[in-house]
Amino acid sequence: MLSEERAYQLIQDTMTSLRRSGLVNEEVTIGRDTVLLGPGSPLDSLAFVTLIADLEDRLNRETGQDLSLVLDEIQGFNLNVPHLSVDILSKYMMNLTTRKQ
Amino acid sequence: MVITATRTGIGRGVAEHFVKRGYLVAGCSRGAATLELDGYHHTRVDVGDEDQVRKWVRSVHNAYQHIEVLVCNAGLAPAALLMAMTPGKVLEPLLRTNVSGTYYVCREVAKVMILQRSGRIITLSSMAVGLHEEGTSAYSASKSAVVEMTKILAKELAPLGITSNVIAPSMVKTEALEALGQGVIARALQKLTIKRTLTIEEICNVISFFAAPDSACITGQVIHMGLVV
Repeated sequence: MLSEERAYQLIQDTMTSLRRSGLVNEEVTIGRDTVLLGPGSPLDSLAFVTLIADLEDRLNRETGQDLSLVLDEIQGFNLNVPHLSVDILSKYMMNLTTRKQ
Repeated sequence: MVITATRTGIGRGVAEHFVKRGYLVAGCSRGAATLELDGYHHTRVDVGDEDQVRKWVRSVHNAYQHIEVLVCNAGLAPAALLMAMTPGKVLEPLLRTNVSGTYYVCREVAKVMILQRSGRIITLSSMAVGLHEEGTSAYSASKSAVVEMTKILAKELAPLGITSNVIAPSMVKTEALEALGQGVIARALQKLTIKRTLTIEEICNVISFFAAPDSACITGQVIHMGLVV
């Protein structure tokens, strides 16, 4: 199972990668309440899609599992009013790795 | 290069063409492979099944580490039926393969290309979109959807150096074409600007054009083959 600390680190590594590739304009140090999708997010839609694709790749390399980050599987995620924080995403990642074991 | 529906028809011909030119080709179809060539790998996939597509594209990514070109060719062509007589059992599988299937494959391959910051997505539409031929309402609607999703994908992915274009061929002699019926084929031939069927090589020429490094600024375009639209 992925630890909470490791899930945060994967998200942070992905954010750093987005910064290096120029998809986000400034360095973002994430916290549990950092908004990734929705009002207040430092990511535009393209950066968010890249975040998910990159994170999924990192998660699979980390765990050696075949996992997909599917937003509408996240409990409480509303596709019509999308909002995603680091806390919610990391919990989903942890849950995903547990389910597959 | 990833190509869908490589068991028969255009997909098989395109796969063979590019394997013979040194490409590593990952193909798929619902049935078993009909191509046995070094450099070609086949997987049985129903492109209308989101989960199967996700797993397939991931396996291709793991095996090759890179996907430079996607040729999204999978599509059904039902027998010609007037819209007033077209039942849901004809319409729904068609939309599932032609629209959802294209959508899922493009989406999953796009994720790989987003990570690479490069790639070429090529979808297959049809001359049917421009002809508004009686009896092709379901098929033409599905191929119109392919054009629209490809153009939107082109806009979404352009900042990452990924292009997305459409080939709308007139007619290639395949089983799918014959399924449209001789009446439709004869009428369609008369409406074409170039009144003959296309060859696979002619389609591969356009794929090569879209895939070429020099085509980096060509995106969101539709190349109609054999027909002025």
